[in-house]
Amino acid sequence: MADEDDKGKSKTPAAAGAPPKLDRRELLRGLSTVPALGLFGYAWSRQQQHRRGTEAAAATTPAAAAGLQEINVALLGAGAQGQVLMESMLRIPGLRFRAVCDIWTEYNLRRVVNTLKRFKQEPNGYEDYREMLDKERELDAVIIATPDFWHARHTIAALKAGKHVYCEKEMSNTLEGARSMVLAQRETGKLLQIGHQRRSNPRYIHAYQKLLGEAKLLGRIVTVAGQWNRAVAPDLGAPDRYAIPADKLKQYGFTDMQQFRNWRWYKGLGGGPIVDLGSHQIDIYNWFLGASPSGVMASGGLLYHDPKTHQWHDTVMVIYDYDTPLGPAKAYYQTQTTNGSQGYYESFMGDQGTLLISESELNYPGQLYRDPNAPAWDEWIQKGYISAPKEQEAKEQTASGAVADVRESVAPDQHTVPVSLRDPYHQPHLQNFFDAVRGKAALNCPAEIAYESAVTVLKVNEAIDAKSRLAFKREELTI
Amino acid sequence: MEATTFARAPMIAITALRVLVGWHFLYEGLSKLTAPSWTAAGYLKQARGPLAEQFRWLTTRPDLLASADLITMWVLTIVGVCLMLGLFTRLASVIGIGFLLMFYLAAPPWIGYFYAIPSEGSYLLVNKNLVELAALVVILLTGSGRFAGLDRILHRLIRRSPRLAAA
Repeated sequence: MADEDDKGKSKTPAAAGAPPKLDRRELLRGLSTVPALGLFGYAWSRQQQHRRGTEAAAATTPAAAAGLQEINVALLGAGAQGQVLMESMLRIPGLRFRAVCDIWTEYNLRRVVNTLKRFKQEPNGYEDYREMLDKERELDAVIIATPDFWHARHTIAALKAGKHVYCEKEMSNTLEGARSMVLAQRETGKLLQIGHQRRSNPRYIHAYQKLLGEAKLLGRIVTVAGQWNRAVAPDLGAPDRYAIPADKLKQYGFTDMQQFRNWRWYKGLGGGPIVDLGSHQIDIYNWFLGASPSGVMASGGLLYHDPKTHQWHDTVMVIYDYDTPLGPAKAYYQTQTTNGSQGYYESFMGDQGTLLISESELNYPGQLYRDPNAPAWDEWIQKGYISAPKEQEAKEQTASGAVADVRESVAPDQHTVPVSLRDPYHQPHLQNFFDAVRGKAALNCPAEIAYESAVTVLKVNEAIDAKSRLAFKREELTI
Repeated sequence: MEATTFARAPMIAITALRVLVGWHFLYEGLSKLTAPSWTAAGYLKQARGPLAEQFRWLTTRPDLLASADLITMWVLTIVGVCLMLGLFTRLASVIGIGFLLMFYLAAPPWIGYFYAIPSEGSYLLVNKNLVELAALVVILLTGSGRFAGLDRILHRLIRRSPRLAAA
């Protein structure tokens, strides 16, 4: 080698710019910044370690305990919601993805299988759920995130194949569907959890058990209000080259890709925003009030969107009547899809206080207002159930210079609920399901409870059509 | 760029600059790659300036957006590694400049634009994207990879091969 270099040198002695030979010195200089990459690698691994540490500390359950029974799971429905659930499940120890099933094989199925492979999972991909249930004998549980009108068929097939099922809400787009799911669960004795994930959210559990149950901070709840305001969003599209063939779409109950992608807006497939969004929150009304409603009035319509591609109401306003164990109450709910201001929350107002709560960690993550006439809450602050009150400014005038009218109520004390969720919103509910599969917990939202919510919510669309108050019959709510 | 005509001390400083910019690129890329579902959608939705329409249009096409996300993550990572090692420095610089220009133009700190996404500093026309872009221009023009980097070795090897063939 040195020989060749010498030759080269001797041939071009005059070329001042010619590179010198590649000796040790040159080599070292060429490699001189490589250690920086090593340093980066070290810093990166330290940082990853630290991140994993904080994640483990914040997780709802201790990370992978030795000897944790591994659960074989399949994801049925790998669309947007299926992917949300998958991300949460990837953070839960002791799960093995065996299969993924989606009819959009070229897009969703491929995408999710590839993602799972990145996380060292080796799922088989299926288009037909029956084939999956037939072949994947060792499955313990099926997670269902398909369009609402498929829930009953998918859930019942999985239960009858001997699998535990976690099915997204709304349980079904029809009451018959929801009812048949409850019956199949009873018949098979398998677990059926419905995805009303607030039921497992630590803040909601804290509010229900400690604030309402033990401390009774609100007194008697008389009015409830809640909303989910969502901004206009363009219809979901699909690239032509990934379009599902027409005959396959038809086979699975869709007329075209527009409908397949935007099924939530179509009658017979979904239930519209009141079901997609409202069902989560109205479920909380039932839970916190300890009752199902006795009647409902509702008004709604397709006020904004194109009726050619949207069938369900984009705007809905509902009033429920409740007969709670403490007395009558009324609950208002609205959802609209033209403006996202003020987002989503539920507000429970009793004669002693108000609880403003939402699933969001950013907006309305739990505020409590103590009515000035209510007994002091010091005891609950000492116990750590609620924060100390926010100090009120002693100003008589507002910032704008306006003077408060003497007849205005004295402003209530404002406290916060000191519980937050650092995991993805769906993780605790899935964790609860898998804990139940291992026999270590009871389901937070079993079929019967979700059925009551389904009846409560699906009745709204009926009441809008009826244009009058509809009463809930006792036999409707129970099976 | 047969031989660098710059003094040694400035070249060392520029090499350090190259390593730092590369470090930043690499981490931006890796942190996005390892996040389960990073997407530029939020950043693009609040786009302002001359290309705002195009960037916002991209967010309505999930397939294109997915490709754009993937390309961004990998380009940041690869450009970062190349800059740190001084490998294909000029090509990496050009690509880096292109991406920084896009980032800058997606959310330019121009007078009259108000962003809801928080930025960690205060900017008037010039922001850190632009500064980093300028740093890459310096790195591009000074051929820092051939001063200290794998390009130096590569350069020698490539230069030698025709001579070897002739011999």
